[in-house]
Amino acid sequence: MQEQDFKVALLPCNGIGRLVSTVVRQAGYRIRELRPDQVVLLSSGRLAVKDPEHFALFQKYPVLVIDGCRPHCASFMCDELGKTPAARIYVADVMAENKIAMAGEKRRGLSAKGEKLVAALTQKAVQEVDRIIADEMLSTL
Amino acid sequence: MADKVCLQPCLGLRKESVLGRQALYVVHEDLRPETTVLGCGPALNANVQEDLDFIGLYPVIAVEACELDCATRLVGKKGKQVARTLRVTDLAQELAIDLASLPERHIPTEHPAVQALAKRIAEQVDALLAA
Repeated sequence: MQEQDFKVALLPCNGIGRLVSTVVRQAGYRIRELRPDQVVLLSSGRLAVKDPEHFALFQKYPVLVIDGCRPHCASFMCDELGKTPAARIYVADVMAENKIAMAGEKRRGLSAKGEKLVAALTQKAVQEVDRIIADEMLSTL
Repeated sequence: MADKVCLQPCLGLRKESVLGRQALYVVHEDLRPETTVLGCGPALNANVQEDLDFIGLYPVIAVEACELDCATRLVGKKGKQVARTLRVTDLAQELAIDLASLPERHIPTEHPAVQALAKRIAEQVDALLAA
């Protein structure tokens, strides 16, 4: 019997300009840490130039996108590469849902408040990872 | 003659990327706030006007973490050429920074390796503006 390879390709925007960029970046590492066998962490930089290794992973697995700010750059990248994400998370939504204000935080390094948003974002993303994999498994039955 | 330089980091996931990213915050926010802008790779890829303007108006220094040179190639994808490509690995070697000893995910901007790298990049900014 062929072994099934159920994984999710995680595409955080990994920007640099805004505070949420740092939040997204840290959450990406943490999500992979919590689901090491289920998550493949993609680099937006490598994908933007269609690095073959990364593009193959992007094509192979369902994609979970995390957009940090309004231009939704990670979503744009998916659209550009011709793939509809299995799920998208927008950090502003997570902030609103959890009533986390980020005033006073710095993009070069997060304090407890920023870490709280990282934790909330991570939790939401892990739920999505589990749901996507459950859907994938069900679709093979 | 340009009065600012656009700093375009690779924004990858490896520790060299983290080091470069943190160093660029130091360059842009502390060392050369008046003469640098900070380009965001995903935003440039998504044609965010501010980031297109940055590479259109100013010479670009790409700060790469590895030999893939993704930031350099991304600027090329948008029809421009970088003025200089710096590799964190090369600069780390020149500055005797022990990459193996650095943490993977986050390096505080106060860390000596970040400060040394930032100073070296700031020198490159000055040299480019003086050229």
